[in-house]
Amino acid sequence: MSRLGHKRDFRRMLIWCAIILVTCWALSPFYWAIITSFKPPGVILSKPSLIPFLQFKPTLFNWKNEYVSRGREIGGALTNSIIIAGGATLVAVSLGTMAGYGLARFRFRRWKNKDMTLWFLSQRFLPPMATAIPFFILMKTLNLLDTRWALIMTNATFTLPFAVLILRDVFKELPVELDESAMVDGASRFAIFLRIALPLAAPAVAVAAVICFSFSWNEFLFGLILSYKNAQPVTVIIAGVEHTQGIQFWFVATRLLAAILPPAVLAITAQRYIVRGLTFGAVKG
Amino acid sequence: MKRKDRAKYLFVGPGILWVLVFTVFPLLYSLRLSFFRARLGMAQQFIGLENFGRAFTDYRFWSVLQVTVFFVVCDVTLTVLLGLGLALLFHRPLRGQRFFRSVFTMPIFTAPIALGYLGLTIFHEEVGAVNTVLRALGMVHLPAWFSNVWLARLAITLVDIWQWTPFCFLVLLAGLQSLPDEIYEAALLDTSSGWGTFRYITLPLLSPVLFTVTILRVVETFKILEIPFSLTSGGPGMATQTYSFYVYLTGLRNFNAGYASALAYLLLILMMAISLFFFRRLRRQYE
Amino acid sequence: MKKLRLIAILVAVGSLIAAQMLSAQMISGFPAANEQEAATALAAFNKADKGRPDPAWRGQKFTIGVYSAGQRGAISGPLYFWRNKFEELTGASYDIVEIPFAELREKIFTDLQTGAGRYDVIINCSNYYGDYIANDWILPIDKYFNDSRMPKWDRASIAAAVANLMKWGDRWYGTNNDHDAQVLYYRKDIIESPKWQAAFKKEKGHDMPVKMDTWEDVLEICDFFNGKDWNGDGKPDHGITLHLKVGGQGFFHFMALSAPYVVIPNPGDPVTKVTKYNNVYWFDPLTMDPLINSPGHVKALETLMKLSKTGSPAMWGWSLGEAWADFLSGKAVMTFSWGDVGSLAEDPTQSVIMGKLGARGIPGTKTPYDLQSKKFLNLSKPNMVGNQVGCSWHPVLSKYAKNPDLCYYFMAWQATPPINHWNVYMGWTGVDPGTTSDWFAPYGSATIQEYVDGGYIADDAKAFIGAFQDNFFNYKIFQNYLRIPGTPEMQEVWDVHLSEAITGQVSPKAALDRTYADWVRIVADYGKARMLKLYQESIGYKP
Repeated sequence: MSRLGHKRDFRRMLIWCAIILVTCWALSPFYWAIITSFKPPGVILSKPSLIPFLQFKPTLFNWKNEYVSRGREIGGALTNSIIIAGGATLVAVSLGTMAGYGLARFRFRRWKNKDMTLWFLSQRFLPPMATAIPFFILMKTLNLLDTRWALIMTNATFTLPFAVLILRDVFKELPVELDESAMVDGASRFAIFLRIALPLAAPAVAVAAVICFSFSWNEFLFGLILSYKNAQPVTVIIAGVEHTQGIQFWFVATRLLAAILPPAVLAITAQRYIVRGLTFGAVKG
Repeated sequence: MKRKDRAKYLFVGPGILWVLVFTVFPLLYSLRLSFFRARLGMAQQFIGLENFGRAFTDYRFWSVLQVTVFFVVCDVTLTVLLGLGLALLFHRPLRGQRFFRSVFTMPIFTAPIALGYLGLTIFHEEVGAVNTVLRALGMVHLPAWFSNVWLARLAITLVDIWQWTPFCFLVLLAGLQSLPDEIYEAALLDTSSGWGTFRYITLPLLSPVLFTVTILRVVETFKILEIPFSLTSGGPGMATQTYSFYVYLTGLRNFNAGYASALAYLLLILMMAISLFFFRRLRRQYE
Repeated sequence: MKKLRLIAILVAVGSLIAAQMLSAQMISGFPAANEQEAATALAAFNKADKGRPDPAWRGQKFTIGVYSAGQRGAISGPLYFWRNKFEELTGASYDIVEIPFAELREKIFTDLQTGAGRYDVIINCSNYYGDYIANDWILPIDKYFNDSRMPKWDRASIAAAVANLMKWGDRWYGTNNDHDAQVLYYRKDIIESPKWQAAFKKEKGHDMPVKMDTWEDVLEICDFFNGKDWNGDGKPDHGITLHLKVGGQGFFHFMALSAPYVVIPNPGDPVTKVTKYNNVYWFDPLTMDPLINSPGHVKALETLMKLSKTGSPAMWGWSLGEAWADFLSGKAVMTFSWGDVGSLAEDPTQSVIMGKLGARGIPGTKTPYDLQSKKFLNLSKPNMVGNQVGCSWHPVLSKYAKNPDLCYYFMAWQATPPINHWNVYMGWTGVDPGTTSDWFAPYGSATIQEYVDGGYIADDAKAFIGAFQDNFFNYKIFQNYLRIPGTPEMQEVWDVHLSEAITGQVSPKAALDRTYADWVRIVADYGKARMLKLYQESIGYKP
């Protein structure tokens, strides 16, 4: 018994070591960004320093500078990004979940499921450049340049395939018996979708939402092309650290941290909805 | 029977409609543009397939294609493997699961542009985090990351992996968690080998999700742009200039819209070929 | 718990925004950092010619497009700084739209091509002129020179080379603002120290060529200092520092270095006359054949490569920030780059070399290549070629401006000598010197006190301004500026190939041959005849 117990403890320790290592790996760039934001500009490129107070004197210079001169813009950009990413996610997940369910549950005769899936996926194939000019012209014609709507529509289009593909897979894994038993009870297709399939796929919906949100949040090229002043997302503000005197690394750090704050809050709160375990009691019966 | 038939269109309809409205026009426009010489400020001239032909004799086209394929193969393999490993690691009752999972979603929210610029300080030869650690471990000749062709590629790979492993991790974890419990219980009765369970039960059941993750990552990595853009600017020389970067330079920087559209369509054709191959190979999994 | 967290975050963000609003203080109508800055600005404002603003302009607004650098950033800073006073003067105002540097050209060109007209005044880079003129996108401003409403600015006081960039042929399009050139910066305290001069003599066998008139001298000195601990920190230091990264404006280094190897003066009169063989750098002015792979260019690239080995190997991948930091933090003994180095050297948050700055105009060479005789010459006195590499950011007027008169008023007002000079000596504005108002006596009307007020150490200012004055006014010939359609693309492929050579992927000759092939193709794409005509106009070649 003791030998098995030791083995189990050892294994547990290994697992925890792995987890801690991986967590450090995931967090290290953020740590680096935090200490860089507190370093005086001259130190950033001249002294190797990993530990604050020991190797360099932290200062609020960069943060003060940034917020006194750019605070309003950064706040505005964060708001824009939240609205754009949120709106795009809403659209993409709604349409994508429905489409995913349809592709998983029904058989299409004239246009095969596999082909339709591939068609959705193929929306991700084109390099952004190919659609940049046409989108610009489209938005200009619709008089939507420099509006958040333009970016919501753009990002919804781009992230829709993720939602479709992820949800499709998960819906396929759900046993058909659940649906069939509900149909026998007389429920409509949509009701089954809404009340049975969707809750069971909730973790996947949450994951799809997180992914769609993150892609929209990080989207840079179209944010740059379709916005001038009012609808600038935070990625464009970040790109503003590069100018003729080079890249202002201290502002990269502060803006990176500012830009990660809203999605971080979202990620923390969304975790609650990724519940473990699915109830198959109904099937086992 | 009739109700079922109509309902299916209601499910996929809105999605298809949206895509049609927002992608058909841009795609057709781009396709048309690829048959023209469309330089800034000059009238467009129809030149047929000349743009496509030019791509094949353009040494830059082949260079960027090779670089991109390298990144696709390297990055996707590593991210999927790491993501799978992490998903398996976390697919167990653990304290503070939520905390760790939240931490792991942070990388995918980091704007690649910012990450690239930050990377310049991380990989800085003298004061960067990476080299400081290497120096502490005793390395004498510290790598000059951006002055060397392969080191620059490695730097991009490392950053890319850092950012996208969580994506694979999340999707694979969700996939693992959708697997029915009783199959595991049954397996445990037959064999207590972890590896055996993984190989013969988990892996096959997970393969549709694995497949989806892989194909999504392949598709995304083919278009990798922002990290080479901000971290290495495609350098040294053209060692890290990826396909999308070249298309961007051609179309938006040098205003050679016709050639850029042609290049974009060539990539589209390539990717369709790749995914058709993928889909056909695993056709069994998809009805 | 979650709610509390959210509230805390909202409060933090809200207070930061409030702090920003509260701290925007005005002194004498300027968002100045301190009293002294406001006082000097007010003095400049009072001295500057104000013309007679048209009452019809009251309440109007126009938009300025400038690259993104913030309210106290380079080039965009002055626009914010002077806005209040502009409103006082005219009753009109302007919006400043900042564009990320990476997309500056794209946004401007798209705006002009689609006629969207979002920008009335554009603070642009001089190499956009080719496309502007070819597409007729900007308005000439000659007609305003005698308009009594407009402030008078002194065109004759501007360095001829830069003044050329604001014109096309005989017509003026831009107003005076920034004047870009690269000069050689070095650590005066190290180069002129007897200890190191003696060590140099011991190692190399002859005196240190302190004057550094030629690139060969520079190479020797950098080679000597590279790897030695000359700053006393116990670690080996660097000779030169360069920003050679692809996309990091590395090709400007080559442009500045190679000019003396390629550009030779006209043997007749005037020496600056452009002929098939003289005062040309880019293309043959008769055939539009690229000259970029001439033996002179190749030799210059070989010299640059040797130079790139006398510093940190990481500099092959450094862009501006990293390269300048190497010099400003006291690890490199030399660099050659723009005026920003001079002003950043005085910034205590970034520099440790205040008071130690030496500067001189770009070195030349004794062995330039003669295109006519097809040989390398051997001169007794080095061939020195002035440069204006860079952008020389200045405002131009978009064809779609709704109120061009008002826009020109602003442009001219900023160009008036007192205000432009104030922008120059205040280092944070990023405006570099280039007119007689910026030089010290006997060359100009500036005083040391002004630069000291702007934050410079007196000796550093003398060195820095002296170098620019030398470059712009004393060098007899100049490297002409490429301003034809497709210039940015040509520079981009050239930059890539230069990086390939420097990192050893191809030989220097092969890299320049590739550039040649690319340029031939680009010229053909745009139409060779058309390009030839525009090129001749832009460099002032008269057949």
